[in-house]
Amino acid sequence: MTVGQPCPHCAELTGTTDQFCESCGADLRVRRDRTDRVEIDLGALAGVSDRGRVHVRNEDAMALGHGTALGQRTPGRSATRLAAVVCDGVSTVHSPELASRAAAESALDVLLSAGSVPDLPAEHRTRDAVAAAARAVAALSAPGTRDAPSCTLVSALVDRSDPDLPEITVAWVGDSRAYWLAGAGAAEPARLLTADHSWAAEMVAAGMLDVATAMADVRAHAITHWLGADGEPEPGVVTLRPAGPGVLLLCSDGLWNYLPNAEGLAAVAVPAVERRTGALDAAAALTAVALEGGGRDNITAVVIPITARSPS
Amino acid sequence: MTDTPGFTVEIDQNSYLPAGGSQVDAIVTVTMAGGPEAGAAADGAAPTPTGDGLEMIIVDCSTSMSGDKIVSARRATAAAIAELRDGVSFTVIAGTQNAELVYPPFVGTATADARTRADATARVVRLAANGATGIGAWLTFAGRIADQHPGAIKHAILLTDGQNGEHQSQFAAALDACLGKFTCDCRGVGTDWRVDELRAISSALLGTVDIVANPSDLAADFRAIMGAAMGKVLADVALRLWTPRGATVRFVKQVAPTVEDLTARRTESGTQRGDYPLGSWGAESRDYHVEVQVTPGVVGDEILAGRVSLVRAGSDNVLAQGLIRAIWTDDTALSTRISRGVAHYTGQAELAQAIQDGLAARKAGDGPTATARLGRAVALAAASGNDGTARLLERVVDVIDAPSGTVRLRAGVTAADEMTLDTRSTKTIRVRGES
Repeated sequence: MTVGQPCPHCAELTGTTDQFCESCGADLRVRRDRTDRVEIDLGALAGVSDRGRVHVRNEDAMALGHGTALGQRTPGRSATRLAAVVCDGVSTVHSPELASRAAAESALDVLLSAGSVPDLPAEHRTRDAVAAAARAVAALSAPGTRDAPSCTLVSALVDRSDPDLPEITVAWVGDSRAYWLAGAGAAEPARLLTADHSWAAEMVAAGMLDVATAMADVRAHAITHWLGADGEPEPGVVTLRPAGPGVLLLCSDGLWNYLPNAEGLAAVAVPAVERRTGALDAAAALTAVALEGGGRDNITAVVIPITARSPS
Repeated sequence: MTDTPGFTVEIDQNSYLPAGGSQVDAIVTVTMAGGPEAGAAADGAAPTPTGDGLEMIIVDCSTSMSGDKIVSARRATAAAIAELRDGVSFTVIAGTQNAELVYPPFVGTATADARTRADATARVVRLAANGATGIGAWLTFAGRIADQHPGAIKHAILLTDGQNGEHQSQFAAALDACLGKFTCDCRGVGTDWRVDELRAISSALLGTVDIVANPSDLAADFRAIMGAAMGKVLADVALRLWTPRGATVRFVKQVAPTVEDLTARRTESGTQRGDYPLGSWGAESRDYHVEVQVTPGVVGDEILAGRVSLVRAGSDNVLAQGLIRAIWTDDTALSTRISRGVAHYTGQAELAQAIQDGLAARKAGDGPTATARLGRAVALAAASGNDGTARLLERVVDVIDAPSGTVRLRAGVTAADEMTLDTRSTKTIRVRGES
C-alpha cells in the first residue's frame, strides 16, 4: 500500500513505510488473506464484502457462481444460470461469521446443483437452498445451545436460458435486501424487492408506526426471522421478469443503512456497471459509500448486471 | 535489525497476546559498535571530529569543602584534566552561591593541548572553599557556556559535598533550562549531600550519580568519568517511538545499566510519534523497557504495536530500527509466556523501587515497612543474581533468608552505607542470553 489507498483495516489514507499501516499498525500482508475485505469478480456478477470501520471482524459472508441448467458450472458469458447469496451473522451470538459462511455456501451449492430433477422450478430450488442453509447453520451447534450461531440470508437465482427474457428468483430471511436498480425512466423501474423481517418493518407493515418513528426505535434492526437453531427459516420469495435492463443488487444492512432508497443506489451502481469491469466496480463503489458514511457495520454488496430486451 | 553501521536495535518480547489482551511489553537493546568511525558512520552526515567536544568540571567550593575534601577535589580535577583529549574545549568552574571561571582565566573555554592542560592544572589551587552552595547558579553558568558550542558533545562533571542552599523553585527552573544542553555526571563527596538532589540532576541531564564517601577516592573516580566521556562520539541521540492510533505509551524506561524513567521526557515528533532523549553515545549498549497499551484485537489479528527508531535529535534520519509486534492468539501456551528480558527487568525496576521505598521508610522511622521493602529487595537481588546490590543491602539489613526476603534491620548503619545503597539502587545487571 502506498499513500492514497485506504488501509483495509482502518480505512485511513495514511499509507505506510513498510508492511504496516502507519495509522493503525495493521500487518497489511496478513490482512490481504482474510475476510476483512473480500472481492469476488466473476465477470457476469461480482461482490465486495468489507469489515467496515468499527467491527473487529467481518461477520457477513457472500457466495456467488454461475452454471448451466444441467448443473455444470461454466465460465464466462455462456452461463445460463447465475446465483448469489449474501448472509449477515447476528452479532449478539457466538461465532456469527461461521453461521453466515456456512449458510451462504450451502445455499449456493443447492442453487447451482443439478439435483435429481434438473429443471426443478426456480422457486422450489430457492426454497430448498434456504432450507439447506438453515440446516447448515443449525449443525454448527448442539440442539438447545444458548446463543447458537445465526444469520440472515438473501439469495438470487437468475435463469438466462432465454437471454432476452431472464427470470430472477429472490429469497430472503431477516433484513438483508435485494434491489432492482435501473436509471430514471427505465422500462423496469428501480425498487426494493424484499421486505425486511425486522421489528421496524413489521411495525410499519402492520400500520402501527410510521417509517421514521419505527427506524428511530432501538429495536428497529431486531430481526424477526433468521437462520439458526431456534430461528424461523421460512423465507420470503419473489420472482421478477424484468421488462428492461438493470442491475440486481443483494446487500447486507451495513450498506442499505447508509443508502436505503433504490434510486440512490442506482445512481451509484448503474454508471459503474456500464464501464468495462462493471460489476466489481459497482460493488466497490456501493461499499465505498457505506465506508465513507462511517462503516459502522460489515458491508456486503453483490451486483448482477441484467441484460433484458426492452419491449419496443 | 541493523540499518546503519554503528547502531543496532534488538527487540526482546513475547508478541503473542490472548484474545482481548492489550498490554505489549518489549525490551529494546540499543548497541553502538566501537570506534569513532562507527559514530561518524552512524551520524550519516558530517562525521563528528574527534576534538569537537566540550568538557566542564564544576567543583563545589562552599565552606564545608574545607580540609581534605577541597584538597582531594583539586587532585581529582587535575586527574580529569589529564584525561582530556587534544582539541576538546574545556573549562573549570568553581561553585559557591555563584559560579566562577577558574580556567581559562578569561571568558570562554580553552582548547586542550599539552600547554593548556598544564596551565589548567596549575590553576586548580585556586579552587578554595569559601562560600555557600547554589547548584542552580552553577548549572545556569554551564548552560551559557554550552550554548556557545552548538553541535559539540557537551558534558559536565559536577561535584558537591552538601545540600543545595537555593530555593527549590529556583533550582528546578535552572535545571529545567539546562535540559538537552549538556549531559552531567554528578558526584557527592562525603555524606552531607542529598541523594535525591543529585539524582534529580543526573536524571534530567542524562548522566550518572554516585557517592564518593572517601575523598581520597575522588581522583580515580574523576579519571574514570572523563575517560568514559572521551569515549562518547555521538551526542543528542533520541529514541523515536511510533505507536498505532488509539495506543497509549505506558512507559519508556532505561533499564540497563541503570533504571531511568524516560516516560515524561517525551517530545512529540509527528503523528503518533514521540522522541525520548538518550544523551551521548560511545561504544556501549543500553537496554530500554517499553510498555504500550494497544486497542485489543481478536484472535488472528496481527499489528505493529511500536516502531522503535534511533535518530539524532531534530533529524528524521533513522540510524537503526526495531519492531514491536502484537499477535492475538487463542493458544495460551504462546500468550502466557513472558519474555525473559521483560521478566528480568521488571524485577530489576522493582528492586530499585523497593530499596528506595525501604530506605525512605527507615528514615521516617517506619520499621515494619522498611523491613518488608528491604526484604523484598534482598529476595529480588538474590533471585536475579544482582550480587553488587545484594552486598550493599547486607550493610543495611541482616539477611536471615534471602530467597524469602526475610531480613532484620541493622542497628548502627553508617550514613555512607545507606547513601551508597540509595545511590546505586538503580544499578541493574543484564540478562545473559536466551534460556
